[in-house]
Amino acid sequence: MMNSTIQTNIARLQIMKAKVLAALRKGENYELKTELNSEYKERRKEAVRRVIANMTVGKDVSSLFTDVLKNMHTDDLEIKKLIYLYLINYAKTQPDLVILAINTFVKDAEDTNPLIRALAIRTMGCLHVQEVLDYLCDPLHKCLKDTNPYVRKTAVMCVAKVYDLSVDVAEDNGFVESVREALSDSNSMVVSNAVSALVEMNDMSRHHDVWRLEANTVGKLLTAINECIEWGQIAILETLVDYTPRDEKEAENICERLLPRLQHANGSVVLTTVRLLLKYEKHVHRADLLAQFSKKMVPPLITLLSSDPEIQYVALRNINIILQRHPKLLSKEIRVFFCRYNDPIYVKYEKLDVLVRICSERNTEPLLNELKEYAKEVDMDFVSRAVQAISRLAIRYETAAENAIKVLLELLETRANHIVQSCMVALQDILRRYPRRFDSLVDGLCEYVDDVNEPEARAALIWILGEYSESVSNISNILTSFLESFLEEEDSGVQLALINAAVKFFLKSPQQGQTLVLKALQTATEKCANPDVRDRAYIYWRLLSADPNAARAVALAEKPAIELENVDLSPQLLEELVNELGCVSSVLQKPARLFVYSLAEKAGVPRDSGISAMGLDDADSVAAGAGDAAGSSSAGIDASNEGEPELLISF
Amino acid sequence: MTVDSLFILNTSGTPVIQKHWCDDVSIQRASLVVVPAFTKYLRSFAAMHDAEPVWSAPLDTVCIHIQRKELVYLGIVSQEIPPLEVLELLEGVDQALTEYIGLLSEVTIKENFTTVYQLLSEMVDSGCAVTTDTSVLRGLVPVPSLVNRVIENVSGIGIGTEKRPDVNTSSTPWRAQGIRHTNNEFFVDVVEKIDAIVNSNGSVVSYDVSGDIGCKSRLSGMPDLLLALNQPEVMDDVAFHPCVRINKWENEGVIGFVPPDGQFKLASFHVATDASPRTLPIYVHATTTRQDLARTIELSAEVGQCGGRPIEKVQVRVPLPAQAYNIRVQCKAGTYTVSNGRTSQVEWSMKTLKAGDRSSRLVIQYFVRQSAVTNAAAGNSSPQAVSSDQDMAQEAFVDFEVAGYSVSSIKVDSLKLMRESYKLFKGVRYITKAGSFQVRF
Repeated sequence: MMNSTIQTNIARLQIMKAKVLAALRKGENYELKTELNSEYKERRKEAVRRVIANMTVGKDVSSLFTDVLKNMHTDDLEIKKLIYLYLINYAKTQPDLVILAINTFVKDAEDTNPLIRALAIRTMGCLHVQEVLDYLCDPLHKCLKDTNPYVRKTAVMCVAKVYDLSVDVAEDNGFVESVREALSDSNSMVVSNAVSALVEMNDMSRHHDVWRLEANTVGKLLTAINECIEWGQIAILETLVDYTPRDEKEAENICERLLPRLQHANGSVVLTTVRLLLKYEKHVHRADLLAQFSKKMVPPLITLLSSDPEIQYVALRNINIILQRHPKLLSKEIRVFFCRYNDPIYVKYEKLDVLVRICSERNTEPLLNELKEYAKEVDMDFVSRAVQAISRLAIRYETAAENAIKVLLELLETRANHIVQSCMVALQDILRRYPRRFDSLVDGLCEYVDDVNEPEARAALIWILGEYSESVSNISNILTSFLESFLEEEDSGVQLALINAAVKFFLKSPQQGQTLVLKALQTATEKCANPDVRDRAYIYWRLLSADPNAARAVALAEKPAIELENVDLSPQLLEELVNELGCVSSVLQKPARLFVYSLAEKAGVPRDSGISAMGLDDADSVAAGAGDAAGSSSAGIDASNEGEPELLISF
Repeated sequence: MTVDSLFILNTSGTPVIQKHWCDDVSIQRASLVVVPAFTKYLRSFAAMHDAEPVWSAPLDTVCIHIQRKELVYLGIVSQEIPPLEVLELLEGVDQALTEYIGLLSEVTIKENFTTVYQLLSEMVDSGCAVTTDTSVLRGLVPVPSLVNRVIENVSGIGIGTEKRPDVNTSSTPWRAQGIRHTNNEFFVDVVEKIDAIVNSNGSVVSYDVSGDIGCKSRLSGMPDLLLALNQPEVMDDVAFHPCVRINKWENEGVIGFVPPDGQFKLASFHVATDASPRTLPIYVHATTTRQDLARTIELSAEVGQCGGRPIEKVQVRVPLPAQAYNIRVQCKAGTYTVSNGRTSQVEWSMKTLKAGDRSSRLVIQYFVRQSAVTNAAAGNSSPQAVSSDQDMAQEAFVDFEVAGYSVSSIKVDSLKLMRESYKLFKGVRYITKAGSFQVRF
């Protein structure tokens, strides 16, 4: 008796356990399933919302497909939209079941409310399922001829989606032709969408022959553009980029009709218009018109700089490119580019670049004072770039050199570690650019011997000492003390500079320099682990012992003046980027084929090696910028050696 | 196709909402590789806002993003397209969501995700931006009203009070037919911003005035307005709302438009620098002294040229260097707060500042951490070593507002109503504000 009750109880418990487990396994989806089939409208609505919420956080709700579909037939627009969203997401995984939804779609495409008609046709396109295509053709035909422009513009976009699925269906049903006709639609929104759709289909097609912009269409588009909202304007402007005007007259006409677009609040409209003007400019020869274009271009570009920092950044990157084409364009506006303390760092860097670029000879003084302020900021990278900008200015304008040196010496006096390092490198560049002009200041630099602790700066100071050894009072002591730590030196650049300096000192004053140069060469050849340094020392040794005059000719040779050429892009890359002005490539400053997969394939760029083989070496030289100039100058005489490998072989 | 995918991320880089317009492979690519890589990229910056907005991401993609308050809007792109288009779109999304939802955060976005999705699918069709104009969107997606939500949630019954949305396909897509208001009013706000950098000796390093003409329209029917300014030539760059007839402006110098209903920005303009006399409504002077480890900054504020009006909402922010501690502040006028984040900041606010106020002074005193000073003095090579200049606060940011004053002296001459015959109540306000107004010590 007892036993049997226990047994029945255990049996009951087991059944309950099984039920609970089953419920847990089915989980939320099971609950949603019940809710979706609820007899109350509100509960079904809430359930649909929850399904979508789950879908968007990545939970799998595909098992509810049929239950969600049951709710599709509703007057509630919000629910309809959500269910359509669900369908778009899962249609590809369950194409057979989508057919169940077709009826509702076809019915909706004939609804009295244009919003619902458009929604149905848009969603059917977005489903991206072959099976739907057959059912889509009829409604699409109707919608393309709908009386309501909102429906027409949606239908036009849908054709591009059909084309993507099946070119034949799109061509045979005359859909593509309808889109071409839509270019003459009375509503500007339809026109601009037709342009977008045609461009998209062109990109998809094998021979890019779906559509070519003809001269008579250009006129239509330029009329439509006046009524378009900003996004339509952008679409139309972008297609004009690929158009080549037939003659000068047409180019002038297009440009004049484009000018009002510069007065748009949307930065993208402005920048694309600038791009077009720069492109068509080549076909225009009337000086007064060209001057007018330049004049009209400036204020909107300046206005972009009072937008959000992200937009400023893109504008500045592009301004940097425009300036390489039109160096004088913004020279009056230099103050707009002054950095603000709270600008994001990426905006500051770009502004610095632009500042140096647009600075004219008359402006150097205010700009130098401004750069001095920047050099006092906290961000060390920014400081070193500001100091670098000072030397770039001095190298560019002879009249600015004296002021620049004054500023740099003032900055040195702060003795802030990172300022001293950058200033020393900057001074080296300026001294190299104007030999023998600033001899008097060299002696003063010796007090910073203990402050230069970064290799580049130390190499710079040693180079200066070697070059101006005669102007330094206790040069021998200083070089000796540098030599003492020669072997602890981690950077071969400093070691090379030190050998060079010792040799120069010896050649200029053999009496005092003899012991020093011997010690330097001995240490370098016997104890140094770096083969480059050893080899250099051997070469000098040979030169000095064989023919001191030849050594003099090599070590104390007149050095070619350093220039700032490599801060510019190569003309070829520049041309490419001006054509793509405002696009991703002009912001990243590398050609599109390096990052757009389809273009890379077309250009035959091998995926991995391509980056170093093409273009990017241009970009590298830009990044190195003035740094390169410094590098070549610190090398001093080695430039003349490097081209002659025989020297090494004969050794 | 402009964008492949659009993500809204929280500040730690986790996606809150995502929408895709590309094939499955690209979706997987975006969510499994690109977004994690982007998150890592964001985190590699000490201050997140220093991350470049256009970033070349792995797998031939480009990440374009903006940061607004607590959210990061990210567009993923794999084509050669103008990044500004994406940036403007993301900005438009942010504005539309703000208008629909109010204060944006991860929580509010999640709560209103149905609205967010509806908006996104209206704003972007197959990867191309379609519209960002909220007056158009309002016709397509109903604004969620709090009251309806509450009733629905409590009673479980939906009330069909929401107006059935309808599309507006007239030649003025920004204005619906048949708008009625009992009082016909039109308000114009001319708001000008001064961006300036002032040097320690009081000289103006850079100076820039730009402004907006904001309007609030509550007019019935299809009004056609003509707004004339006293000296339109002062504005050297004007960008208009799409409702403005540009040709009329070019030829006659007047702004003719059929206004959208509600609030909108009619125009934003930039004032030609040679036309503006570089007047500053406020002067802030600073003197700094140092003694051993103590640093003292004395600030004083004075009314400049602003048409004799009082300056309101004056706020002076002084960011202090990282080494500052034991900060003490004294002020005779206004109030101050000291905030301690990664670096400290003193904020000094005054409700009004009138001409001749002599008492508006603030003294900040703080000490510099010893280690930093000795490091610098010893020429220590540690990257943290700082100069004697850098333990002194260097800048103050000034905020202010002057009501009833236009720094560029632009005035609305007249506002005429055409096509409608009712009586129009109109009002114009002028405000001059600080944009980015920076004073160097």
